Amino acid sequence: MSTAAVPRPPAPGAGRLLLNGIFAENPVFRLALSLCPAVAVTTTVMNGLILGVAVLVVQVLSSVSVALVRRSIHPRVRIPVYTIIIAVWVSCIDMVLAAFFPTLYAQVGLYVKLIVAFAIIISRLELFASKQPLVPTFFDGLGMGLGFLFALVVIGAFRELLGGGAIAGHALLPHKPLLFFILPAGGFFSIALLMAFFNLVERRLSGGAARRPGGGGGAHG
Amino acid sequence: MNRPTAAPAPRGEGRPLGEILRIAGSVTLYCALGGAILGATYVATNRYQEVARAASEHRSIAQLLRLGPDASVVEIRQYLDPARDQVVYRAAPRGAETGTELTFALSGQLLGRARAGLRGGEAEEGLKPLGRIFVAMQGDSTAGFVIEGETRGYKNVVRFFVALDAAFDILGVRVIEHEEDPGLGAEIATPWFQGQYFGRTAEGASTLDVTKDPMPEDWRAALLELQRLPPAQWRSRYGGLLERESVQPVYAVTGATISSRALTMGVRSTVNRFRYRWSLVSPLLGEKP
Amino acid sequence: MARRMRARAAAGALAAAVAALWAGGAAAAAAPVIENARMLAPHHVLVQLGQPVADLSPGNFRVTEALAPDVAMEVTEVTVRPDGKLWLTLAQTVSPQNHYRLEIHRPRAVREVKPAAWALLLSVVLSASLINNFVFTRYLGLCVFFGVSKRQDTSIGMGITFTVVMVASAMLSWAIYTYVLSPLDLRFLQVLVFIGIVAFLVQLVDTVLKKLNRLLHQKFGIYLMLITTNCIILAVPLLNASANAGPWEALALAVGSGAGFAIALFLMSCAREKAELARVPKSFEGLPIAFALTGLFALAFMGFAGLNPFR
Repeated sequence: MSTAAVPRPPAPGAGRLLLNGIFAENPVFRLALSLCPAVAVTTTVMNGLILGVAVLVVQVLSSVSVALVRRSIHPRVRIPVYTIIIAVWVSCIDMVLAAFFPTLYAQVGLYVKLIVAFAIIISRLELFASKQPLVPTFFDGLGMGLGFLFALVVIGAFRELLGGGAIAGHALLPHKPLLFFILPAGGFFSIALLMAFFNLVERRLSGGAARRPGGGGGAHG
Repeated sequence: MNRPTAAPAPRGEGRPLGEILRIAGSVTLYCALGGAILGATYVATNRYQEVARAASEHRSIAQLLRLGPDASVVEIRQYLDPARDQVVYRAAPRGAETGTELTFALSGQLLGRARAGLRGGEAEEGLKPLGRIFVAMQGDSTAGFVIEGETRGYKNVVRFFVALDAAFDILGVRVIEHEEDPGLGAEIATPWFQGQYFGRTAEGASTLDVTKDPMPEDWRAALLELQRLPPAQWRSRYGGLLERESVQPVYAVTGATISSRALTMGVRSTVNRFRYRWSLVSPLLGEKP
Repeated sequence: MARRMRARAAAGALAAAVAALWAGGAAAAAAPVIENARMLAPHHVLVQLGQPVADLSPGNFRVTEALAPDVAMEVTEVTVRPDGKLWLTLAQTVSPQNHYRLEIHRPRAVREVKPAAWALLLSVVLSASLINNFVFTRYLGLCVFFGVSKRQDTSIGMGITFTVVMVASAMLSWAIYTYVLSPLDLRFLQVLVFIGIVAFLVQLVDTVLKKLNRLLHQKFGIYLMLITTNCIILAVPLLNASANAGPWEALALAVGSGAGFAIALFLMSCAREKAELARVPKSFEGLPIAFALTGLFALAFMGFAGLNPFR
């Protein structure tokens, strides 16, 4: 994650982009994007990790593809074209997973296909990839993807520990303390608690002058 | 998501028609490119997908029946021909290209017997798959059977393997595919739940039922050991418990009665159907045509 | 007066003649041997005969599951009820929701026994809208859900728009999957095709609405753009495809999911409007409290699990 090997671009530096994606503009906790998988898949750390990596790969590949061809996309059809690009990458990853990692695929199959509709990727392409050159776009995509992965793993750990008494399959507690957290309802509560916690941390760090998290998610879909 | 606002001004001076054509053209180009990439990936990965699936199935079968390396497996594919009201069985040793084909009327009467190829084409022939049976032979004797079954779970279809020994007692059940909720319905795919089917006799299997009563703690502890110990050792340690519990109904997962019931009824009907069909087919498969 | 009476008498005679002919014709035409048959849990079949059956031994009857027509289920007993219907007892358990086949050997008769089509479709709609509500149970469509559910009128607007587009795109996707992608073995293109259909339909509806009714377009236009990124709009065609659904099931799933989403939106908007006026801890303001509210709704909707009016 150091910027030493990369010539300094006019856009924000690579390190700053990465940290931005993970903390300041974390897609789940701050921007409230792509919540569907955040609740659905995070019943265990492993599930969250796998889907997070898949999204990371799609995000980076899509960002890079759009940055490469951004000048040839007609503005009026840019959303459908972004969607096509994302759909192609998602389908490819879907097929690769099914062929080479069948057990993994059995668990996260439907959600991998849904990556196409993830607002996080489209919004990033719209805001960044279509306007910035290749290298900063790569780091922005990487940062956002890592932020998403981080969020999924944190939520997964929270739910698996409280709901299943284990982390990544290793039992830490003798029984399941609060099975509720593995249920969908518990997923919503987990995110509510974690989001509030991140807000609290943000407020403390910036001395009480924090802004509220991004617009209820509506602005970004 | 940001709403796409109208473009500030159309690029170039083009007439509206030219504009639309250019837009349509570029989108079509992207679609075509995308389709081409997908096609290439599909062709490249499809073969691996088949190979991966077959390999994982064989691993499951070998584990369920505890097969040694010198075991051989005969795969029997069962099909229903709804147009002619017939049932077709195609049997071949694993990996072989040709095998024996048996055709029965629905009443059980044998209609025909032939040597046939195994590769595909079932959909064109109008045949509906009824599942597969794997017969494992160790040396000269039958090591056991693994039957593929399907049932409707809480969310979607649940596919599973049932393993029987030569006397048709259950050696194990393994869920292959499901979409049940993690932590709830998905618990039917765990070793401790599936262990409840182990050791039940064929008669017991044909009257399987489910209860919502909680599982006794000693039985739960024993089931958790089932994976770690070889069956003979497990039986000697927990034989008494097995005797007590194998006549009890299956204990449902707390909060997932529907999934537990689906799998249990699925196992039950799969075993019943297998015993009938095997009685028809086995005398004919032993002989060389 | 007399003429009227004569006319009435003539009409009566005509009606009687027609009725006699019809009854005679009906008697002359072959009535089905099995008039009706119903499965009754746990072990019974209730059969209404249209023609008498002499041989009432269990061997004359054959009951099989539609999925396994070659494996006969053992009939242990046949009794005749006082009302003339037959009461078959089976060794195995049956469920009224499954599909069976009842056969009589002498005289030869075959009857498929399955739940009524409308009952099946209604259960799909109920399942998609309440039991497996896409928002509360399957956690899909959350992105849009949280954005739009702040106020009641936006919720209702989005609910209606979404249901309309959902049904249209699901049916179109089903048609293309069944008649183009499946037969040509192009299933791997499904994601691309489904998303393309949605984008196309959204643009179409947007353009048509703008031309037809400016007012409606102003009201609903913004929701259309958001629909494209709603996970549900892609999930429903994918589910239909993986379950190889028929046209009516696909329609039922689309209607159910649209209705479920609309219900979820509306309920959430009512709660959030109240929450705006409540005292919420600073860290929870905005989205976190919305999530907690959703969690409570999800808990409530869990009560629908196992709902089955057709048992």
